[in-house]
Amino acid sequence: MSKKIGVYICECGTNISDRIDIDSLIEEISSLEDVGVAKKYGLLCSPAGKKYLAEDIKKEELTHLVIGACSPREHEQTFMKVCLEAGLNPYLFQMVNIREQCAWMISDKEAATRLAIKYIRAGIKRVALHKSLEKIELESNPDVLVIGGGIAGIEASLSLAGPERKIYLVEKTDALGGMTNKFAQLLPHQGANLSIVKDKIEQVNNNEHIEVFTSTAVEDIHGFLGNFEISVTNQEKDSEKKEFKAGAVVVAIGFGLYDPKETPAFGYGDVENVINALEFETMISSGKIVLKNGKPPASVALIHCVGRKEKGYCSKTCCLYSIKFARYLKDKLPNVDVSEFYQDLCLPDKSDQNYFEEAKKKGIHFIQSDEIEIKDINDRIKVKYKSAEGKKEELSVDMAILAPAMVPSQDTPKMAEMLNLPLDETGFFKEAHEMLNPVATPIEGVFVVGCALGPKNIPDSIVQSQAAAGKILSTLIPGKKLEPEVKTAEIREEFCTGCQTCLSVCFYGVISFDEHKGISIVNEAICRGCGSCVGSCPSGAIKIKHFTYPQLYREVLEALR
Amino acid sequence: MKKQNVLIIGAGVAGMEASQLLTEAGHKVYLVEKESLIGGQTIKFEEVYPNMECSTCMVSPKQQEILQNENIELLLLSEVKEVNGTAGEFKVKVKKKASYVSLANCIGCGACYEPCPVSLDNNFEEGLSKMKAIAVPCAGALPNVPAIDAENCLHLNGKKKECQACKEACMFDAIDFSEKDETLDLEVSAIIVATGFDMLDLKKLSQYGYNQKDNVYTALEFERLYAENGPTEGKLILRDGETPKTIGIIHCAGREEQGYCSAVCCMYSTKFSHFLKHKVPEAKIKEFHSDLCIPGKSHQKFYQEALKKEIEFIRCRNIQDISVEKKNGSLQVNYQNGNIEKNTFKANMIIVAPAMLPGKDTKNLAETLGLSLDEKGFFATKSNELSPIATDVEGIFVAGCAEGPKDIPDSIAQAEAAVGKVVNLSQGKINE
Repeated sequence: MSKKIGVYICECGTNISDRIDIDSLIEEISSLEDVGVAKKYGLLCSPAGKKYLAEDIKKEELTHLVIGACSPREHEQTFMKVCLEAGLNPYLFQMVNIREQCAWMISDKEAATRLAIKYIRAGIKRVALHKSLEKIELESNPDVLVIGGGIAGIEASLSLAGPERKIYLVEKTDALGGMTNKFAQLLPHQGANLSIVKDKIEQVNNNEHIEVFTSTAVEDIHGFLGNFEISVTNQEKDSEKKEFKAGAVVVAIGFGLYDPKETPAFGYGDVENVINALEFETMISSGKIVLKNGKPPASVALIHCVGRKEKGYCSKTCCLYSIKFARYLKDKLPNVDVSEFYQDLCLPDKSDQNYFEEAKKKGIHFIQSDEIEIKDINDRIKVKYKSAEGKKEELSVDMAILAPAMVPSQDTPKMAEMLNLPLDETGFFKEAHEMLNPVATPIEGVFVVGCALGPKNIPDSIVQSQAAAGKILSTLIPGKKLEPEVKTAEIREEFCTGCQTCLSVCFYGVISFDEHKGISIVNEAICRGCGSCVGSCPSGAIKIKHFTYPQLYREVLEALR
Repeated sequence: MKKQNVLIIGAGVAGMEASQLLTEAGHKVYLVEKESLIGGQTIKFEEVYPNMECSTCMVSPKQQEILQNENIELLLLSEVKEVNGTAGEFKVKVKKKASYVSLANCIGCGACYEPCPVSLDNNFEEGLSKMKAIAVPCAGALPNVPAIDAENCLHLNGKKKECQACKEACMFDAIDFSEKDETLDLEVSAIIVATGFDMLDLKKLSQYGYNQKDNVYTALEFERLYAENGPTEGKLILRDGETPKTIGIIHCAGREEQGYCSAVCCMYSTKFSHFLKHKVPEAKIKEFHSDLCIPGKSHQKFYQEALKKEIEFIRCRNIQDISVEKKNGSLQVNYQNGNIEKNTFKANMIIVAPAMLPGKDTKNLAETLGLSLDEKGFFATKSNELSPIATDVEGIFVAGCAEGPKDIPDSIAQAEAAVGKVVNLSQGKINE
């Protein structure tokens, strides 16, 4: 079929017509090959303009369309819709920005017109090479795999489970609850007590739409948004293997703690009665605050920021839980002398400062300090430090409680490899966008929440779980088909040498290697069409639909003519 | 799923995120915004920490999505006046002020600004520049459609009835003086409150010598001063015409008075230093702080990089004791460092980071919605829940800084969490 390209120039009121000689532009381009009609119109984006355009596309039986107007960011979508209404495939349309890039840029009308002619020619030559692209639809599974049965994983499961959505909650240990199982009490603004967590665990266990796998490891995850295939093995029952499918994955594998032994100055494991925060939680649970000799301590030092320097970040939660410990100690042992050794008090939540002020009123000492060193001197703990005034000072205490940095869970690297997820320089998972997309990852359909993303407190972890749930509930709707990106990458088998360079540059992990054929394969269902692979391919075997080399070459050639 | 209507109050990052996501879930959204543009506070920032990303470039695609989304009905210059009913069937009255400019006809060419004879303080620009009674407050405002300030427009306030300068300049017949304020009746199943924050008025804290005349700037003023689309187009020109050479940045203004830390000031103050050092490499910068609050895995590195650039961080004994005075025509910061020595620092520019406060309309809105406030004046959330999203009124949720000071990603996470709760509620599932 022969081509008939329609070219329409928008006057944009007088925004374009004042600065570009539209009549001579039309004269210049109307004789170009395949151009059937070339016209101008007052304001194409107005209701009347759109109607005119749709009717003209039909009347003139156009095969391709070029519009010279404003920025495509402004009205490309508008005119693509007009194409659809007029029965023209919207990808057979090219928008050329002669307002921002010509009319508004150049005050000399003749120069602006010359440039606009070049750009319109480029659009015409390009559009002649356009191909129809069709949207495809994919079936998708609404079920969700949640990895990690801590508070974040529990919350994600409860928020997502429903009659039309089954949740597979996989926990590697034999119980749900994660780190909260080790806590004796929560902070006041995190709800009154741990019974909230126990209630939630019970809700999970009683929810017919949640299948809980404890003592279970995720062995393999394959697939893409809407269509993941998962296999897990039970670590107890003779490695019993189970396989199931899910449409999305929520990674909630939590955190680990910095081992204070890595910094010998803290005396951990060396000096008696120097314990870490989790050991003190256990002590609170037992109800007995005692030293190794069975006696209660008369003085306690709380050491903040253990491992902060080494890890290079603040763990956010330690200041507040150390204050929680101090207050607990004061309540249990009214005569105990408690000193908090901190670098910077980090109290960012709106209720934190009150909590701290109350602690000060209870007579807890807060000592801004640095260069902490804990020594055993005559069976007593000596805390040496540099004070705020820069002086070397020391304090003898019976017990020291260390607040170690929160570090990535030991399972993080393995999980990252399995799901093709990037890690950041601290070793935690990396967000799809640190500012705007905090719980998503570059892999569509895979979310990371809670401390797996970085140190945070329980409310923030729960918000993130609910955020991932919000995204999944809104986008992975039972019965609704997925519409993948249309402008995807395509690999021409005959040119692919199997070097696999493209695999390493694909941020979204959509390219795999076919060992049998010895070539790379793009999963078009999840390709976002970013084009990184195209640029990286040394043999030019990859093209992006709608941005092929011939299309770009002709466009650039005309623009530079 | 049944298509339901949801009301979102506030079109900042949190409100925009919630709106967009809810339409993906199949809901129709009424997005109520009191200003004539969307984007909230984030569009005032030139760059955001910790990656020094261009904020407008980051947010404008989101704004465009909102404007092009057919399932979002954007109600600008609007305020929620009355709410009745319960979850699933709230009846809402929204007062929509006339803008006198047709969103459909206006193409944003700006031809009407110039002829307008009225010049006003530009509040969006923190009063650092003037604007006409018809104009968008900054380049790149979205929607790129001006509104007429009815109080100051000579035609509308009757001071010069015959003035039609803007109407005459408009080629698109977009100006309609006959437009009236309207009251809209909406029926919605759920409400998300994302009204954001305001900043403490520095004039209330006399020790900083803030008078809008000397080179003492609030954080938001400085954000606009260094914005490429701001009053000086990004040129660092101070009120006295000088460029910044010696700069003091004071943290925690109003922290003690308000009784909480605002969570973001340490980081954005450090951002200012990074920016200033980049623009004026020879600048001498001192940051006066109490405890540095830089939680978050990437934040400490941002601070350490500032140290490498020889930006001096001074821990002050008592942040409340810091004062700014004008001595022999130049500004001076009086402070006490860790050694309790009284010290001074002569500066030709001072930036002060004031506490984040609940939005001005919070109290009224809380009354309208039947919500309670916490002791700091932010919206209170259900006390027996671990996450601060659901309020005591079923079907009403809070997201972003309306709930308390926080950064952009935390606000967005709360918005997404609120969406999850709305979707569950619409399906008859009440979590927790």
